[in-house]
Amino acid sequence: MTDTLVDRIRNALRVVIDPELGHNIVDLGFVYHISVDAGAARIIMTATTPGCPAIRFLKEGVANAAARVPGVRDVDVVMTFDPPWAPARIEPIVRASLGFAAVN
Amino acid sequence: MSYFAAALAWLFVALALMVAGLGYPVAHLASPDTLVVVHVVCIGWLSIAMCGALFQFVPVLVAKPLFAEQWALPALGLLTAGLVALLAGFLGLGGRLPAWLWLLPLGAVLLVAGFGLVVVDLGLTAWLRPAGPVRFVLAGLASLCATVAFGAIFALAHAGWGGSIGEKLLASGVPLHAIAGLGGWLTLTAMGVSYRLLSMFMLSPDVDDRKSNMTLVAGALAIAVAVAGGVFAIWLTAGLNVVLPVTGAFGLAAIALYGRDVIEIFGTRQRRQLELNTRMAVLSFASLAGAALLGLALILTGDFVDHLGAFAFLAIFGWLSGLVLAQLYKIVAFLTWLETYGPVMGRVPTPRVQDLVSETRASKWFVIYHVAVWFGTVTLLAGHPSAFRAAAAMMVVGLVGIAREVIRIRRLADVARPLRFPDGACAPHLLCARN
Repeated sequence: MTDTLVDRIRNALRVVIDPELGHNIVDLGFVYHISVDAGAARIIMTATTPGCPAIRFLKEGVANAAARVPGVRDVDVVMTFDPPWAPARIEPIVRASLGFAAVN
Repeated sequence: MSYFAAALAWLFVALALMVAGLGYPVAHLASPDTLVVVHVVCIGWLSIAMCGALFQFVPVLVAKPLFAEQWALPALGLLTAGLVALLAGFLGLGGRLPAWLWLLPLGAVLLVAGFGLVVVDLGLTAWLRPAGPVRFVLAGLASLCATVAFGAIFALAHAGWGGSIGEKLLASGVPLHAIAGLGGWLTLTAMGVSYRLLSMFMLSPDVDDRKSNMTLVAGALAIAVAVAGGVFAIWLTAGLNVVLPVTGAFGLAAIALYGRDVIEIFGTRQRRQLELNTRMAVLSFASLAGAALLGLALILTGDFVDHLGAFAFLAIFGWLSGLVLAQLYKIVAFLTWLETYGPVMGRVPTPRVQDLVSETRASKWFVIYHVAVWFGTVTLLAGHPSAFRAAAAMMVVGLVGIAREVIRIRRLADVARPLRFPDGACAPHLLCARN
């Protein structure tokens, strides 16, 4: 049951895009961890760079999207830069469409 | 956004004056008419645009909010009023307005107050994490203080209130004022901002601090030698014959090291497709390299003083203005996105920042602008003032096109209909941003 809810939250987060890269934060590898305990969701995520002006909106967007999933009563979003995000975290098919260097 | 709108308005004023044939090259480089054009460009356009960009960017660099966000608007008011008073004073010096020379010290006081707010606000914010590109901003702010101090003394001297020290500094110190302003405040700051912006947009690793430190040290030494050494030389009545070549050597070293760092950022980028702001920044880097080579060639041939105007024109309009325009295009799109779509994220699908722009249409206006600048530099070197006015008119054409693109961004004119105004999104105001 909990795993299904985690999957539903992960899918719901696909509505949140990184404004610069233009793809959803799940495929970009921004979401490090999702867990749910008795309807309380905890999401650990990152962004491309610390201090990015979009961070506040990304965090709020993730909280909004997760809160709309049936079964979620409360959402706690934690932003971390440890480990720092790297393009290697992007889904390969998205990475190719973004024109990233082949070495990544 | 108000800073950017005010800055663009002043740039249009400057170009209109150049098209009309006011100031250099029709008039002498030190004439009151030239002072009007130079200060419209350097304070009205470049400094106000730079302040606006830094109010957005320094908090990003240190990941902390501004020390006093509410100071930004009063600072803009003081800077605008100060510039208007200063220009009226210059026009009075040239006989185009009544000779109310007290306007010059008044303008200086207002500008000192305006830039003072900017320096304290940005300086205290940047001091929270004085590492990486923010060190360039701190050096730029220190140079701004020196520039404003020179300018205030000159304003007093023009009004006859400067005493013998003011007269002495006015007679010999104008190059130091220009070097501190163009080289220290505007160029060092632009370099610092570009390190982070280029890395951020191309997803390149940050340049190693030891490398960028060498660039900063060379640039800061150039400014320190010019300001401290220059004042000392004037005090000794020794002239600037030693100070200026040493400053030039450090300046060239800084540009060469910066070029090495920029090439590294481009070479190690992980995002291969370059966006318009980065492609157009390359044209301004070309102008910086061109200005450095031109300056070196003119020094070697002994023609530097005769062609100082051409050198300064290429540095101001090719390098600094070109870079500011390219980044302005991106910053406006990014801020507009945050303002319009940030608050509805997670609730509805939103467009990308790139959906707010049409790069194909915009790039031709940037190319027209840069070609016009290079043409203008050649006309100045060849001594054809009428051809220079044609080049300035061509710059206006490019700038009108760029301004139109920026307005289209603010109006979300290029965003496809289904995504333009999702539920809950508010249309941005043309001149004022909510965030």
